Amino acid sequence: MTYFMLLTVNGLVIGLIYALMAAGLTLVFSVLKVVNFGHGSFYMLGGYAAYYAIGLLGVPPLVGVFIAMVALFLFGVAIEWLVLQPMYTGKVERKDEYAIIVTFGLTILLTNLALVVFGPFSKSPPAFLQGTFIAGPLILPYDRLIAAAVAVVLLVALAWFLARTSLGQALDAVSQSRESAAVIGINPKRMYTVAFGLGSALAGGAGALIAPIFALSPNMGELPGVQAFIIIVLGGMGSVSGSIIGGILLGVVQGLGVGFLPDPNRALAYTQAFGALLLIFVLLVRPTGLFGRAHTRLE
Amino acid sequence: MTNRISFSHGLQALLLAAALLAPLIAGPYWVHVGALAWYYAMLASSWSLLAGYAGQFSFAQVAFAAFGGYASALLRLRLGLPLILAVAAAVIMAMILGALMGALVLRLSGPYLALFTLATAEIFRLILVAEEDVTRGSLGLQVPGLFSGDSDLPYYYLGLSLVVLTLLAMNGLLFTRIGLFLRAIREDESAAQASGVNTTLHKIVVFVVTSGIAALAGAYYGHFVGILTPNMVILPEMGLVIAMAVIGGIESLPGAVVGAVIVYGLSEMLRDYGEWRFVLLGLVLILVQRFAQNGLFPFLERHFDRPMPLPSPTRNALDIEGEHVNLS
Repeated sequence: MTYFMLLTVNGLVIGLIYALMAAGLTLVFSVLKVVNFGHGSFYMLGGYAAYYAIGLLGVPPLVGVFIAMVALFLFGVAIEWLVLQPMYTGKVERKDEYAIIVTFGLTILLTNLALVVFGPFSKSPPAFLQGTFIAGPLILPYDRLIAAAVAVVLLVALAWFLARTSLGQALDAVSQSRESAAVIGINPKRMYTVAFGLGSALAGGAGALIAPIFALSPNMGELPGVQAFIIIVLGGMGSVSGSIIGGILLGVVQGLGVGFLPDPNRALAYTQAFGALLLIFVLLVRPTGLFGRAHTRLE
Repeated sequence: MTNRISFSHGLQALLLAAALLAPLIAGPYWVHVGALAWYYAMLASSWSLLAGYAGQFSFAQVAFAAFGGYASALLRLRLGLPLILAVAAAVIMAMILGALMGALVLRLSGPYLALFTLATAEIFRLILVAEEDVTRGSLGLQVPGLFSGDSDLPYYYLGLSLVVLTLLAMNGLLFTRIGLFLRAIREDESAAQASGVNTTLHKIVVFVVTSGIAALAGAYYGHFVGILTPNMVILPEMGLVIAMAVIGGIESLPGAVVGAVIVYGLSEMLRDYGEWRFVLLGLVLILVQRFAQNGLFPFLERHFDRPMPLPSPTRNALDIEGEHVNLS
C-alpha cells in the first residue's frame, strides 16, 4: 500500500511538471493555432539554461529556474519572429504543413546543436535542497517536493494571469477569434508573440525544474514532448485548465501503471503506449478533448 | 507546358542513367551508401505523395516501413514462407493497415492528423520494444540476406529498380484523375466533396498505396542491412524522411528521390562533422520551407526552364480541360 502511495505521489510530481509543459503548448495552440513540435527542445534548453545560470553565474537554484524562464521567453519571442511571423503576412502557402515542418525542423536543429555545444554526456545541476522529506510512510526528496511546489505556483500564476489581467484577456480574445479581437483594438500579431514567448518560458521552466531530479541530456525533451502532445489532446487542444488536469492525470496513471505491471521492461513501454493510445482514442471519439471547447483551424 | 514536361523527363532520364552508371566509379562504400539511400528514397517519395499531394501529413511512414521489414522477416523466419511470398504478404498487410488508418483519420486534418499518426508510430515502436519474444526487442531481429557474396552491388540495383518501379506506379496513379482529385482534397476538402469527388475513397486509396510502398521499402531495408531494430521508428528517422521530401520538393515525387539521395549522400560525406550535419539539416529544412516551399528540385528546374511559371495547384485545377496533369 505504501508502495502505491509513493508511486502516486511521484506520479503527481511528474504530472505537475508535465502539466506545466503542456500548459505552454496548449497556450501556443489556442492563440496561434499552431502545434509546436519543437516544444520538447525548448524544455531541454530550459534545463541547460538553468544549469549554466547556476554554474556560471553562481545564482541559487531557484533563481536559476527564473533565469531559464526569462531566457526561454526571449528565445521564444525571437523564434516566433523569425520563423512563424511569415505565416501571418501571407508569405506562406499551406500554413498547417509549414508550421509542423518548421517547428519540427527546429527540434532537429536544437537537439543536435545541444549535442555539439553541451556534449552528449548527462549533466546535473545542484539540488534545490539536499535531503528527504519524511512524513510517516511517505518519503519524498526535497527536490521533488520543491519542483512540485514551484510548478503549482507557476500554474496558479498562469491561471490568474489568463483570467484576471488585461493581457491575459486579450490572449483569450485572440484565441477565440482573431478578427473580432482586432476589431476591438487588440493587435493579434503582438498576442502571437506574447503567447509563443510564454509557452516557451513554461517549457523552459518545466525543464529547469526537472533538471536536478533527472539529469540533463540533449534529447531529454523527446519523451516529455510526446507526453505534452498527449496531454493537450486529452485536455482539449487550447484549454489551459484542461491541460493542467490532463497532465496530473497522466502522470499519476503512468506512475501507477509501472507498479501494477510485473515485467519492468514491458511496464515501461506499455505505460507510455497507454498514453499514446489515449491520444488516439480521444482524437477519434471526442476531438475537442475531455474539457476543451471547439477550436477552428488556422485562419 | 509540353516543353517543361519534356525537360523534366529528360532530366529524370539523365539522373537515372547517372544512378545506373554510378557504381562504375564509386567504391564499395559508396555503393553501400547508395543502396541505403534507395530505402530513404522510397520512403520520401511515398511520403511526398501522402503529405504533399494529398495533404495527409503523417508521422507514421517509418512505422509502416518497420512493419514491412519485421513482417516479411518474421514470415520468412517463423513460418518459413519463401521470400517473394513473405514480402508480398507483408506489403498486403501494410496496405490493409493503411486502409484502416486512412478510414480512421478521415475527419482529422493538419496538426490533429500529425499527432494521431505520431502516436500510432510511437505505439508501434513501443510494441516492437516490449514484445521481445517475437521481435527480439532492442537487441534487433537478424534477417537473412538475399544474395550470396559480400558485394552490395546486387542490392544497389535491386533498390534502384524498386525506386523506379514505385515512382512509375505512383506517377501512373497521379496521371489518372486520382492525382487531380488528391490535390483538390488537399486544397479544399469540402469544395472537392461538393464538386463530386469521393474524398473518402481517395484518402483511403492514398494511404493504402503509400503504406504499401513504405512496407516494401522496409522489407528491402531489412534484408539488405540484415538487422531490424525499433530504432527504425524513432522520430529523428521520420525527421530525416520529412527533410528529404521537403528539401527535394514535397509536391514532386522524383524531387523527393533526389532530395533523399542528396541528403543521405551529404550526411555520409560530411561524417567528420558529426552532429553539425543535423544542425545544418534542421536549418536547411527551415530555410527551404521559408523561401522555396516547393523544394529545391522544382526551384532549380524553374530557373533552368525560364518561361514557364511553376504550376501552382490552382493553375492545375483550372487545367482540367487540357487533360494536363503535371508529372513532377
